[in-house]
Amino acid sequence: MAKLNCDHVIDYLNGTLSKEEQLEFEQHLKTCTDCQEIIEMTGDLPYLADPVDPPAGMKARILSTVFEEEEEQKKSEEVKREPAPLIAQKAVKKKNRWPVLIAAALFVSLLGNGYALLKLSEQPETGGEMAFQSIDLQPNEVFGGTAKAAIIREEESLELVVQAEQLEALEGEQVYQIWLLKEGKPIPAGAFTPSANGEGNAYYSLEDNTEDWDTIAITLEPQAGNASPQGEIVLSSEI
Amino acid sequence: MEKSSDFVLYERVRNKDKEALEQLYDRYEKILFSFLVKMTEDRDLAEEALQEVFIKVWRGVGEYDESKGKFTSWLFTMSRNAAIDLIRKKKKPSVALEEAGELVSPASSVEETAEWQEKKEQIQLAVKDLSAEQQKMVQLFYFKGYTHEKISELCEVPLGTVKSRIRLALKKLKGTLHDMQERGDSPWRN
Ligand SMILES: [Zn+2]
Repeated sequence: MAKLNCDHVIDYLNGTLSKEEQLEFEQHLKTCTDCQEIIEMTGDLPYLADPVDPPAGMKARILSTVFEEEEEQKKSEEVKREPAPLIAQKAVKKKNRWPVLIAAALFVSLLGNGYALLKLSEQPETGGEMAFQSIDLQPNEVFGGTAKAAIIREEESLELVVQAEQLEALEGEQVYQIWLLKEGKPIPAGAFTPSANGEGNAYYSLEDNTEDWDTIAITLEPQAGNASPQGEIVLSSEI
Repeated sequence: MEKSSDFVLYERVRNKDKEALEQLYDRYEKILFSFLVKMTEDRDLAEEALQEVFIKVWRGVGEYDESKGKFTSWLFTMSRNAAIDLIRKKKKPSVALEEAGELVSPASSVEETAEWQEKKEQIQLAVKDLSAEQQKMVQLFYFKGYTHEKISELCEVPLGTVKSRIRLALKKLKGTLHDMQERGDSPWRN
């Protein structure tokens, strides 16, 4: 590209710059008040629109699609009993995925596949302190399923892998929702739906983990995306 | 304060907090939908574009950080591009100027929030300071997503000057708005 100048703000807004050009332009933006003002203006211009009431049900449609996409993604990334898909995960996200790969590998090894662990442990270490905890979740009196969880804590981050078996099939939009709790206050920590053979996996990461969680629980929620539990707890454990 | 809480919310979204995404959705649903309807003139297309936006936000596509300016600038720009993509894919691009609508439309019946109303009035005032050609360019470029070629043709300006003319129109708009705020025409802050 020809030397970057202020006219490129138009291409920047249109999203037509290449990745490098975009980074280059963002450098320009740091020092150019003219371009900063134009970018600022785009935070106001949409208010020229006449208000239109959103159609009924749009929120539910959009959010369920967004979270379903996530489930699809998760299914393709889910913990398999081979190291290959776990490594594939690393390519998807730019952050270092080793902690979860190791957690997942250890976890798989708990279930009797030493090969995955062996294979992955040959890979380079991340450095830094890492704490690993494996947990058996206890079902409530009537629930027939079982689940294990692995929690990896490294510096500020927390990663959680859950693997469940003998799950009851779900109806409609139901999901199994995982929660981390501290003193009874839950945050959602991943969700899954069981496969045809009653198995389910989930992976969740918290990059900035400041809480000292005391409980992990899985509830049966009527739909995905609930901010707080509506369904009953089917599996749980202290951490 | 709104700005920092947007950022905090976005950070939570980046950590896959569904509740945070829902809050972000609630906060911007109406302005985004209205903006997208203005752009696409099609409620279904607007919904589709809005869905694209939230899929991208959730997946962390085109990640936001404060070096990219205000959070709303980033969110609105992403929405605008989602709408332009859909318009180009699904709709025959309209060439006639009459179909492009006006930058400022007559008052609507749906009630605006006080904040929205206030912002709108100010921007409308600032728009009046632009020349007719500048208003047309902002409408064609910003809200209609027309190509530079089409804008050059419709506004009868040389292709090579389209970008800088749009830029100058936007800059003038911002300058006028800024002056109005300095003079304290309204308590609007952002
Ligand atoms: Zn510049």
